[in-house]
Amino acid sequence: MTDATKALDDRDFMSALLDIVIPASASGELPGAGSLGLERDVATGLRADPMLGPVVEPDLDKLREVALAEHPGGLQGMTAEDGARLVEAQVASNPFLMLGLLRHLYPAYYRQPQVLEGIGEPPRPPFPEGFDVEATDAGLLEILEGRRRGKP
Amino acid sequence: MPNEPVGVLVIGAGASGAAFAWSIADIGTSVLCLDQGPWMKQRDYPSNGLDWEARSLAEFSASPNVRGLPADYPVNEQNSEIAPLMFNAVGGSTILWAAHFPRLTPRDFRTKSEDGVGEDWPIDYETLEPYFTLNDTMMGVSGLAGDPTYPYHEPPLPPLPLGKTGNKMAHGFEKLGWHWWPSDSAILSREYEGRAPCVNLGPCLSGCAQGAKASTDITYWPVAQRKGVQVRPGSRVREITVRSDGMADGVLYYDEKGELQEQKAEIVVLACNGIGTPRLLLNSKSEQHPDGLANSSGLVGKNLMFHPYAAITGIFEEPLDGRRGPVGCSFWSHEFYETDASRGFVRGYSFEAIRGLGPATTALSGMIQGLVPWGTEHHRAFARLYNHTASLVAITEDLPEETNTVTLDPELKDGHGIPAPKVTYKLSENSRKMLAYAVERGKEVMEAAGAVETFAQPLFREAGWHLMGTARMGRDPKTSVVNERGQAHDVKNLFIVDGSVFVTAGGVNPTSTIQAIALYVADCIKKNIDTLFDPA
Repeated sequence: MTDATKALDDRDFMSALLDIVIPASASGELPGAGSLGLERDVATGLRADPMLGPVVEPDLDKLREVALAEHPGGLQGMTAEDGARLVEAQVASNPFLMLGLLRHLYPAYYRQPQVLEGIGEPPRPPFPEGFDVEATDAGLLEILEGRRRGKP
Repeated sequence: MPNEPVGVLVIGAGASGAAFAWSIADIGTSVLCLDQGPWMKQRDYPSNGLDWEARSLAEFSASPNVRGLPADYPVNEQNSEIAPLMFNAVGGSTILWAAHFPRLTPRDFRTKSEDGVGEDWPIDYETLEPYFTLNDTMMGVSGLAGDPTYPYHEPPLPPLPLGKTGNKMAHGFEKLGWHWWPSDSAILSREYEGRAPCVNLGPCLSGCAQGAKASTDITYWPVAQRKGVQVRPGSRVREITVRSDGMADGVLYYDEKGELQEQKAEIVVLACNGIGTPRLLLNSKSEQHPDGLANSSGLVGKNLMFHPYAAITGIFEEPLDGRRGPVGCSFWSHEFYETDASRGFVRGYSFEAIRGLGPATTALSGMIQGLVPWGTEHHRAFARLYNHTASLVAITEDLPEETNTVTLDPELKDGHGIPAPKVTYKLSENSRKMLAYAVERGKEVMEAAGAVETFAQPLFREAGWHLMGTARMGRDPKTSVVNERGQAHDVKNLFIVDGSVFVTAGGVNPTSTIQAIALYVADCIKKNIDTLFDPA
């Protein structure tokens, strides 16, 4: 456990939390969010978010406190199941906690090359290569041809 | 010389301001456009990086309140059921738009005569037709000629491919015998005028790095500048100034350094969108115009119309295109566009086929819908949605109501201390019924297309892209702000060319019509320049 009082600055706590929120997939193809070191992205995003940040940050601090009260090692000392139960209980009384966390976690997680490959996406930006898409169904075009308004 | 008086001063360099400035340059006088935003660079758009979704949700969000950039002004939307969206830059909201390019239909211009609701416009489709065509050429529009729900017109480029997602949904419409037609899209299906064609990047809504999507910074503005039009970015107009006789004589604006500047002009043209324009008029009070400029009717800021959106999504067993391809430019349907009394509401809506979402937005929207949980079930639930959804949006016709307004917030101000707009908007019972009906029809067609499950957002709050009606056009100065030529009844050298002048909203995206009106108003000025300021 790092010596920090703010949850967002406690990297061990945040890493454990992120692994509970997005754990590794059963097949192991998709990593847990905590193992990717996304704590900083989430912290930066929340601190820059004027709407959700001020609501979520105290909720995270409270979650950390409750975890420490329940286990001397905090969230990171608990089993995944116990940790998930604790988080779930906190989310039930602080609904914005998960909304705010995921608002910044999902965009950070789903841009990691390992994650993109795991969901079947090439690990590259859209530009410049772009993508191919299927042509319009020729049968459909033929149907439309029969309905076309003619040139006056 | 930076502040030499100019002949024509255009405020706003977005969809309408660009089209207007390009056209009016023909009269040979000096034309200057002020815009509060910067020039954008395609290399800076999110789709250049792996963090494209994160940036799309932050500094490229369509909400000025989320972005909070120096070019933005805040909008008090607490009393609005729909959140207003816009982008402030040279190119305006065309930087972030989907580029879906339907026109209002001929009947949209006469809802009072047709259905006894709203008001008839003082102009009609036929008046605008040549300008629609010209604008299609300038923007670079792809589409399929011959949609039987429109008068015949030929887009300059062939339609964009529907892709798996569009093909799938179109089969659903066919199965039910409902109208559908490939969209007119301001996205290039072929190389055109030096611009490269679409390569299906996907994130159209955060700027097109390819330059295939038409935004006026890369369509109208380069040509307008070659004609001599000046653009001054980073210029936020505080107020329009007037002479002793009440005519406009220029503006006061803050330049890029934050210094107050005065710019004199013979003609002032507003192209600031349906929120920015009434805001500026209301901020331009004077002894001659104590209730705000051009506001003797009291209608500046009233009759605000959005298009209330419903979104209907189907989950399919087989993989579809996901976020590949232009997000909103697939096909439209006018099956429910006209009034049918048996449905329990007047007027109607269009359906627009939408492709899938990126991975982060799939997870986020899945969370909001309660379909993608956090925890051990996350990956399974995500995989069920990602690349397996197709959506429709219903774009419903909002009718004008004086109680839906843009006013000045008594406390909220922008970075220059200028009072910010406050939006008060309540969805009408008619719109609510229309949305509910559209959701049911949307689910029906999704199932016909093979969806194994459907879900819907009956009112999509973050969908206030279309800002209309707040300085409406009409022949009677008591019931309208500008006349049939976009000229303010009260101030003969003041013109409005953005969505504010819409009398009714139709049930389609408005940009094609907004730009056609801007070109038409410019033409009216050119044709009537000698008598422009004569009494009516």
